[in-house]
Amino acid sequence: MPPRRFEEMVLPHLSAAFNYARWLTRNDADAEDVVQDACVRAVRFFPSLRDDDARGWLFAIVRNTWYSRVSRRAGAEALPLDTSINDPADGALDPEARLLQQLTIARVREALEELPADFREVLVLREIEGMSYKDIAALVRVPIGTVMSRLARARDRLTAILKPPSLPMERMP
Amino acid sequence: MICYEVERDLDGYVDGELAPAAAASIREHLRLCASCRQRVADREALGRLVRSVPYYDAPEQLRARVSGQARRTTSARRLMAWAAAAAIVVSIGGGISLVRSGTARADTPVDEVVNGHVRSLMADHLFDVRSTDQHTVKPWFLGQLDFSPPVVDLASVGFPLVGGRLDYVAGRPVAALVYQRQKHTINVFVWPTSDGTPAVQERAIRGFHVRHWIRNGMAYWAVSDLNDVELTEFVRALQTA
Repeated sequence: MPPRRFEEMVLPHLSAAFNYARWLTRNDADAEDVVQDACVRAVRFFPSLRDDDARGWLFAIVRNTWYSRVSRRAGAEALPLDTSINDPADGALDPEARLLQQLTIARVREALEELPADFREVLVLREIEGMSYKDIAALVRVPIGTVMSRLARARDRLTAILKPPSLPMERMP
Repeated sequence: MICYEVERDLDGYVDGELAPAAAASIREHLRLCASCRQRVADREALGRLVRSVPYYDAPEQLRARVSGQARRTTSARRLMAWAAAAAIVVSIGGGISLVRSGTARADTPVDEVVNGHVRSLMADHLFDVRSTDQHTVKPWFLGQLDFSPPVVDLASVGFPLVGGRLDYVAGRPVAALVYQRQKHTINVFVWPTSDGTPAVQERAIRGFHVRHWIRNGMAYWAVSDLNDVELTEFVRALQTA
């Protein structure tokens, strides 16, 4: 295996790291700071990277960076949420369907942000990053059984948040 | 199997994380129990909702800052290494050839296909032909390659074909077929081969999962950051298509 450069190994996972940090912090500015700090550490720790999992390795550094920031300013007021919506590319939808979809997305996003951070985290890692229970367990440092039960509780809670007004689940796209 | 047990293992089942025997007995129960079927359907719908939320892509300025910082560190390190090497040369009066470090030397196909995958995502050159229609993608390769790669769409099982391009592996042009699973891209590199076994080999390199197998005289290499379970599902679908 030839020596790999930081850019080749880590930059392909930068958006994944940012997405993860964005869900942990719930705002753009903090997410950027966390990822930037994490990358400074990542360059320093780069020789410790095992060959097989650059994404998991970067996630672990992002998570530690976020965690130490949160504990450092525990009790500090949360920054306002950014509610802008990245328009998904859906040229095929008519304007009404598109508006409806955006409303749904905004609502799901808000519901996710209402969840406690540890619930939000496992949902993002599983649903959006598609990570296995084993990899999530290693990253979050809990047993695999805990990953499953945490996901179950997170999904129950999310279902409860999304349910009350008249948006029946089975009619979602 | 009773409903309580399904409820207990519901998430493991939906996530494809149960042992095959446990999953089979839940499937068996689902055939008979409408309310458990509903539970599973609700979980799956919830998953689709969560996945419909757009990805937060890293802002450009962050990407620029991080890669600038990496370059500075790397060049500082190279300079140090060079200075150290120069010092040795000076101290023993020359005669040592400097070992060139940091040159990208991809030696095996597995490195090359992972490089190809990364390149396709970073250089924003994922497609030469962008189409979800296998009858558009397959003919495109005519005249580009001296073989005709099998092209199938797997949209019906959740892995839509999104396009194809020409790539280079092991010094020869190969077909790269591009599939999508939610936010994840799967590159499948295909070229003719005369050796190898049909058994699927698995590797994980630099955060990407790689699967390799031989079928009908073609070498297949699938590369993605998709999780193991879903990539295995993809490979199975591709092999039986």
